[in-house]
Amino acid sequence: MKSKTNIFLLISFLVAIILTGWLNYQAKNRIGDLSENKEQDHDFQVCNEDRITQYYGMDTDFEGGKRAIKNKIFPELEELNYKGSGLITFRFIVNCEGEIGRFRHKATDLDMEEMAISPANIEKIEGALLKLKNWNPASNDYNTYDSYYVLNFKIRNDKLVDIF
Amino acid sequence: MKKLFKILKLILATLLTGYSIVVIYMLLFSSPEKRYSFAANMQGSELSQKMFEILKFKDPENDRIYFEQSVPFNKRGYYEEGFMLLDKAVTLDPKMHLGYRGYMKLRFLRNFKGALADFDRLDSLTPGVIDTPWGEDIDFLRGESYYGLGDYQKASKHFKKSIENQGEDWADIQSFVYIGICEYEMGNLEAAINYYKKALEQSKYSVEAHLGLAKIYSEDGKKELAKSHLEKAEKYFNYKRNDPYSEYLNEIYKSDLAQVKTLNKST
Repeated sequence: MKSKTNIFLLISFLVAIILTGWLNYQAKNRIGDLSENKEQDHDFQVCNEDRITQYYGMDTDFEGGKRAIKNKIFPELEELNYKGSGLITFRFIVNCEGEIGRFRHKATDLDMEEMAISPANIEKIEGALLKLKNWNPASNDYNTYDSYYVLNFKIRNDKLVDIF
Repeated sequence: MKKLFKILKLILATLLTGYSIVVIYMLLFSSPEKRYSFAANMQGSELSQKMFEILKFKDPENDRIYFEQSVPFNKRGYYEEGFMLLDKAVTLDPKMHLGYRGYMKLRFLRNFKGALADFDRLDSLTPGVIDTPWGEDIDFLRGESYYGLGDYQKASKHFKKSIENQGEDWADIQSFVYIGICEYEMGNLEAAINYYKKALEQSKYSVEAHLGLAKIYSEDGKKELAKSHLEKAEKYFNYKRNDPYSEYLNEIYKSDLAQVKTLNKST
């Protein structure tokens, strides 16, 4: 009888722990969270790994807005050959000091299927993005924060036609 | 003492079991509406996505679940995943979701032809109804799509239709602004001025209309008029059209004001 009580307690404890751990993990992890990859991200650091907000929550932006981004980097990227039509979407972090890094990308064609982009073109886009220095990090009245940012590169008939 | 410990162990085990049962019940067996609301409120978290998966398992033909599940993917730039879910919602209930998908193609993807195809299909499915995808007049969104394609004539036609649909007093003020831009692009400066002025009759804070007028007056050498509208555009700049998710096609920036200011000084 004694052992049955202990087994009941042990099992109920383990089930509760596993459920709580699972719930906590599922609630904490979000779509689009970008984990660090030292090899890919080099020395880019975020200020608080546990609090990286979304771009639309706290007005993260480049000085002069997306128009300024386009004006600055479009000329050096428009001559590249991109093969096909679709959208290359870059997601990256603007850290609390206004530095950018941890670049990840996805590309979709007009049917919303995955589209292949040459690594050389991706490298050139990242290189162009890294030249952008006037980022306004997410902020409120008290502090500045890390946040994600999304930038789209529109491709039509093998050429870059828009950045937004 | 041993008995007391045993009772305490049993109480603790019962409480823990009760907790687990409640959690499992909430995840798997509570009312679908409550679970749907919970998942929608936890938008973007993996827990929300898991809840949607559970709901879909039990109700695979429920279009609302696919629609709501798609939202965080699209907001965060994961369009392949987002549109896979949204396409399923459209398949299940085209009348309900075509408008939103068109809106997303227009504002998030700038896929203007794709957006128009969705708006036209929606329109054909709802004869006699003026659709309002995601709360905006369908002809306004068509106008914006044609504007994106650079077809100013068709864009202007649809913005005018949108004003007709909504009535002049209730129409989106940006309809007047967009017609002003389209007419300007087509070289019809008098018409452009008229529509910009109509926008300002609706609201004196329309920065886009002030800028449009300043540009036309400046190019026409009417420096004082241009200066006056530029000053108002600067004064009311915080009222400019913007959206935290995406850049509008006619969004204006301080650099636009600076450009017209320079133009006005040089003419």
